[in-house]
Amino acid sequence: MGEKKSFKKALNDCLNEAASQDESIVLISADSGPNSGFKEFIMDHPDRYFECGIAEAAAESVASGLATCGFKPIFCAPSPFAAGRAYEFFRIDIGYMRQNVKIIGRNSGFSYNDLGPTHYGLDDIALVREIPEVVIFAPQDSDEMEGCFREMLNVKGPVYMRVHNNALPVPEKKREFDPYKAVVYEEGSDISIISMGNETEQVWKALDAIKAAGIKPTVIGMHTLSPIDKDAIRLAARTGKIVTVEEHFLNGGLGSIVAEVCADECPTKMKRIAVPNIYCTSGPYEELTHLYGLNPEGIADTVINFAKEKSCSCSV
Amino acid sequence: MTEERRIGMDKGEIRQLEETAYECRKKILRMCKAHQAGHLGGAFSCMDIVTALYFHSLKVDPQNPKMEDRDRFILSAGHKCLAQYSALCHKGFFPEELLDTYGCLNCRMPGHPDMKKLPGIEANTGALGHGLSIACGMALGLRKKGLKSRVYTIMGDGELAEGTNWEGAAIAAHYKLDHLTVVVDNNGLQIGGDVTKLMNYQPIEDHFKGFGWAVRKIDGHNMEEIVSTLDSLPFEEGKPSLIVARTTKGKGFSKAENVAKYHFWAPAPGEMELAEKENEEELEAIRNG
Repeated sequence: MGEKKSFKKALNDCLNEAASQDESIVLISADSGPNSGFKEFIMDHPDRYFECGIAEAAAESVASGLATCGFKPIFCAPSPFAAGRAYEFFRIDIGYMRQNVKIIGRNSGFSYNDLGPTHYGLDDIALVREIPEVVIFAPQDSDEMEGCFREMLNVKGPVYMRVHNNALPVPEKKREFDPYKAVVYEEGSDISIISMGNETEQVWKALDAIKAAGIKPTVIGMHTLSPIDKDAIRLAARTGKIVTVEEHFLNGGLGSIVAEVCADECPTKMKRIAVPNIYCTSGPYEELTHLYGLNPEGIADTVINFAKEKSCSCSV
Repeated sequence: MTEERRIGMDKGEIRQLEETAYECRKKILRMCKAHQAGHLGGAFSCMDIVTALYFHSLKVDPQNPKMEDRDRFILSAGHKCLAQYSALCHKGFFPEELLDTYGCLNCRMPGHPDMKKLPGIEANTGALGHGLSIACGMALGLRKKGLKSRVYTIMGDGELAEGTNWEGAAIAAHYKLDHLTVVVDNNGLQIGGDVTKLMNYQPIEDHFKGFGWAVRKIDGHNMEEIVSTLDSLPFEEGKPSLIVARTTKGKGFSKAENVAKYHFWAPAPGEMELAEKENEEELEAIRNG
């Protein structure tokens, strides 16, 4: 899997294909349209593009109003603003009003690695999953981006799609995509790894080291966070140990979702590789992910050490 | 039958609207009686405007509440929904018996309106500062569809301190949404007291003018003035319209008029009876000319 596709190109291709078939698709922007990869759409369909200026909250309300008239608005902006700044407007005008609005939170995680906590998108899943009935996607490769985008438009209601700045891996082989079924890349018996979005590629890169240590992992990719594929989590729980990996805060994201399902249905020992709930520092992207154990080496270390732990350390 | 937007009124029709406004206030009292509480002050202050909208201006059809080319009314100050519920009921959107369920578990008329529960509600408001931007989206959508529908929003004056209103104000002017009208229910009081002492957004007209709106100031209880103002919309081609309606909080119940604590009313012993008596007297006075 060597080829890569930029997230802007991927979004551009998805939108152009969809927009040519569905006249009801309109684009909302908070000075965020061209930077989302939508230049072509804006050029081709100026009458379907609504710029709101740097005003994410109003942009989401405008999207809601357009949706009440039968349009299918897509609003794409950096995730800290699409999900964070505009949260109440997402929750009420789009969520509570059950409007057919699609929010894409791009540049999630540490995408803006130089800019620090103002621009980090580390809490978007935690926020959005508290809004009832919102479908949440975090595609892991370019094919999944297409699949998630298609399903985003099929869903008659609010959808949030989390997109990272990193280029998306392009799969060598086409795989059947079920938007509500996690991808089981490998099935092993020693330990399970569950990741989402951009971090899944880092897990793939960690696998050689993990296997070289004699560990056979089950490897699962979650492109859909809500509704969550509980069967995949039950499958992971069979190994007795689960490691979750996400470029998101420790609390409220993938690790929390998996832990909640396990607590309810299949108590399982877990390690959550995620970003601690602190005001993270800034710097080169690779150094940041290294700092928080999100790079392939960090993932491999955590998985290997956890797999080698012999017995439960908790007191019963 | 679809009701068309009407222009112009004679004295008799004005009197009819005035009577309707007090019939609606009567329904508000009925809901407050059922629940023993409600946001009375703001509902009473905007009741005359809401009446003029529903019974004179708005093109809406109780038999077909989702009619595509209907006018849209969004009560941005959602806590004033008793005024909207009473008008919708009086207009025939739902039976009167429903009024007695106000405040009950699972009732279709929550303390803030829910579009999925009651016909005629266009947006789930109550959190302040949302209505105008939703209205902008609707106005853009209706225009894009080639419909002649208009969009009306009522906001509170205290609500103006929510910054998103000004995002919406800019968007409405930028897109020249002259089929969009905001009425500010300028009763001068919010839950904590005098609006201008808490945060002064006066002169409201100048702020909106600065954003590119066409503005008029009216007496929000003078039915003739309300109707003639609504009839002259849009005030200027290519500009959204703002009506600053000077009103009295609690208008129609002497004890509540201009008293901030009646923003939310849990009737003290004897108050409901007094309010009902005053309402009947006012209705009688209007009927007798």
